[in-house]
Amino acid sequence: MNGRAVPPRRLWLLAAGFLVWCSALVVLYALHAIGCAFGWQAGALRWSLAIVLFVHLIVIAWMWRHLATARPEPKLGQAAVFLQTVVVWTLIAALVATVITFAPSLVLKTCI
Amino acid sequence: MSASVEQPPQGAPALRLHRQLVKIWATGPGWQRLAAVNHSVIGLRMVITSFVFFAIGGILGMLTRVQLATPNGDFMDAETYNQVFTMHGSMMLFLFAIPMVESFAVYLTPKILGTRDFAFPRLTAYGYWCYLLGGTILTVSLIARVAPDSGWFMYTPLSSNVYTPGVNADVWLLGVTFVEISALSLAMEIVVSVLKMRAPGMSLDRMPIFGWYILVTAMMMIVAFPPLILGSILLEIERAFGLPFFDPTRGGSALLWQHLFWLFGHPDVYIIFLPMAGALSTMIPVFANRPLVGYRAIVVAIIALAFLSFGIWVHHMFTVGIPHLALAFFSAGSAIVAVPTAVQFFAWLATLAHGKPRWDLPMLYIFGFFFVFTAGGLTGVMLAIVPFDWQAHDTYFIVAHMHYVVAGALAFPMMAGFYYWLPLLTGRTAAYRLAVPAFWLIFIGFNLTFFMMHLTGLLGMPRRVFTYNGDEGWDWLNLLSSVGSFVMTIGFGMAVIDIIVQLRFGRRVRRNPWNATTLEWAMPMPPAPYAFASIPRLGPGKEQAAPGQLALSLARGEGYLGFARNGWQETLGVHMTSGEPDQVIVLPQPTYLPLVTALFTGAAVLAMLFKLYLLSLAMALVTIGLFVLAGQRAGLGRDYGPLPIGHGASVPPHTEVASAPPWLALICVLVADGTLFTSLVFGTFYLWIAAPHWPANLAPEASRVLALGVIVALVIAAVAARGSLRATSAGARAQGWIGLAVIALLAAIAAAVGLIGSVTPHPHQHALGATAAALIGFVALHAGIGLLFLISNLLRIHAGFISPRRLTDLRLSRLWLDYTTVTGIIALGLVLALPALVATLGARP
Ligand code: HEM
Ligand SMILES: [Cu+2]
Repeated sequence: MNGRAVPPRRLWLLAAGFLVWCSALVVLYALHAIGCAFGWQAGALRWSLAIVLFVHLIVIAWMWRHLATARPEPKLGQAAVFLQTVVVWTLIAALVATVITFAPSLVLKTCI
Repeated sequence: MSASVEQPPQGAPALRLHRQLVKIWATGPGWQRLAAVNHSVIGLRMVITSFVFFAIGGILGMLTRVQLATPNGDFMDAETYNQVFTMHGSMMLFLFAIPMVESFAVYLTPKILGTRDFAFPRLTAYGYWCYLLGGTILTVSLIARVAPDSGWFMYTPLSSNVYTPGVNADVWLLGVTFVEISALSLAMEIVVSVLKMRAPGMSLDRMPIFGWYILVTAMMMIVAFPPLILGSILLEIERAFGLPFFDPTRGGSALLWQHLFWLFGHPDVYIIFLPMAGALSTMIPVFANRPLVGYRAIVVAIIALAFLSFGIWVHHMFTVGIPHLALAFFSAGSAIVAVPTAVQFFAWLATLAHGKPRWDLPMLYIFGFFFVFTAGGLTGVMLAIVPFDWQAHDTYFIVAHMHYVVAGALAFPMMAGFYYWLPLLTGRTAAYRLAVPAFWLIFIGFNLTFFMMHLTGLLGMPRRVFTYNGDEGWDWLNLLSSVGSFVMTIGFGMAVIDIIVQLRFGRRVRRNPWNATTLEWAMPMPPAPYAFASIPRLGPGKEQAAPGQLALSLARGEGYLGFARNGWQETLGVHMTSGEPDQVIVLPQPTYLPLVTALFTGAAVLAMLFKLYLLSLAMALVTIGLFVLAGQRAGLGRDYGPLPIGHGASVPPHTEVASAPPWLALICVLVADGTLFTSLVFGTFYLWIAAPHWPANLAPEASRVLALGVIVALVIAAVAARGSLRATSAGARAQGWIGLAVIALLAAIAAAVGLIGSVTPHPHQHALGATAAALIGFVALHAGIGLLFLISNLLRIHAGFISPRRLTDLRLSRLWLDYTTVTGIIALGLVLALPALVATLGARP
């Protein structure tokens, strides 16, 4: 019976996109605090922030591509289709949220 | 709350089944009510208790309005005023809002999901008693005039020893933590129950939307409460034992408290909102006569909301001096958090627009919700904009914003939900004569009271002042606010009278008065203690069965488990995603254990409050012993193999499957505990980088040998736990392995205690030593809890509860010890790295 059901493990995917968003928040916030506390050069700090941001964007985008193209196995039924749709949309939402929330790290003055 | 059900289901087979099941499920009369574990009974008690606190909190709010109605008011002095407004806020949020939404969840969730009870009924009861006792402690402190007085968010240093030497702050820290532990335990059981206990065939895509809301909310609670619990523990340790986590003169930071508080505080507002939004998403389709629009979009929106709400806590701290770039993250996050809320709004509006809406009492309150919550959300977005917030922060504008959102998110949907579900509880419908004017009084009074506060705020009136001079131009606005608050209170009073009238004289209704489609209406009204006489099957082709008809067939026992077996309280466990039954869950009977355990927990809290630390420790140990005792009574004493559940299907009991509820529950516990641990690590780094007085020459010297000793011992314990599991599943004796694990854990604890003793600088002197001690203490505590797991294993092996097929206990121990080892390595690694970290501070410009 369980052979025909979506494995519960896959429920974690519902959180995947936004977990990456959380990671971006934590890493960027910490990196910025450290950079300012230790008086890094503005350019170096900006580049580190930008790289961290892009790495996170790439991870979400990769997951999106990967999951959006995988067709759910028909034998898993409606639940699989539902979960896939929801997961893909959370990934899109997470991607947009990441861009909007963390774009300021590319433009604002670094340490005032 | 009585066990008798006035309205027997029809037909002879139904009646017979009803009698059999009542005998098994009912809570006894008289004193035995104190042993209740049933979710309907406890849910109802929680509703009533939370309303008592709502009333007390409301009176306190009225007192502040009396004081502020005119300038130079001398109704209260400043001291009293501080206690009154602090207790108003604390009660409304911790003793009313959170428990009230939880009580909705407790009462309704199993019924809506088509199951007979929650996964851990004794935990439900324990959670309730903790809430009642914690709330009582806070209330009594008010009568004794030693109530907390530093504001509902207890900012340090005001709440620290120096500025609040009395017990006032301790009451808050201990009382609120007590209540939060109860909230946390309920949240865990809600997660497990929603995932594992639904009607067969209710796959995740068929789950009523209420289930999604409750699931997401409960998960948010599991992650949101630990930071505040940690903060409260650290502050209490600082106050009681002088470890300076928040004291800037000794390397602590007052702002650390604000971070920990709001890391909880902001998600908390959505924890309050989401269950009520779930209620709205359940009611609106019923009144619109059509299915909810955008089910999937809503699921996506609430997941997004849950996460985003954790990333915007700093918007409460825009004025504390954080660099602008970081503020921008939180400002942008706060602005986009409105989007998922808007998605839900439009789904509701679309549902109403595409349906044939019917006007009824709950709809009136839903209209109130739309109006008030929109206004509050808009001021929220204004405040999310940093320059505006700098002007409005700490003025009455904030008070206006938060009352608009909290009343919009909580009070109006709650009243709608009340009028919607009361017939289920009572079997009677509302008498509208008073209800409609009551609504208008509440609505008008509310807007009059709080709209004015936007204006007083913009005119510069700071919040929390106990009086003003009268030459600021605030007089009329304040007077109107006060008048409005009386109008609103009269409205609530009328609503209460209306509800009492309904209870006594309402027209009797049989089944499903609103023509709803969810399963809580597929049962007799009021519900029987077993909820469903037999459990419905959902699935293709079954969706259309109206709950009213379904109720009759379920009462005749035509669903699953439509019989009594061995006197067991049985319900079904299902596969998490597909909803196919995979186990019979046998629930525990009523017992006084939760009450007794809560009383001892309360005694530990009280002893702590009166600074009787040894007594407190003793009471805590008794509490722990009672938990081990509770573990002894769980499960089944022998192997049964698959048991028939009706409709030709058979599934094993929960003791013999891998995905049993306790396994999931432990995962939830570890997520909560992991959040607490992460917060502690965050706190350490935060102090390192942000606290003043961390000079490079303070390098601590932790003993590497002892630290390594702890880690090696933990690894041995984890390996031994694997050994015990392997031995038992092979049918061999496991006691040797468990003994080895016990010895290893004892060694780990001894080494950790030695390590704490050797910490320099001394934990009293500097926050550096204090955090190191806290990290090591965390490891020792978890090793100690690991010991309890092992002791419980030994006792239960002895009593025959563990067999090669019934391995859950041993798997739980293994998971706990693995977790202890991993966190132990991180914590001790951090302690060992501290000297190097501190040395780098010398490189700061
Ligand atoms: C778009 C949504 C929201 C945004 C952007 C927002 C923004 C804010 C901001 C920036 C503050 C802090 C103002 C200050 O102290 O300077 C605040 C305070 C507050 N908000 Fe909201 N809010 C939103 C929704 C909500 C909701 C839904 C609730 C509750 C259900 C809520 C409850 C509160 C409370 C209780 C406070 C006051 C905390 C205190 O005592 O200082 N907010 N909000
Ligand atoms: Cu907030």
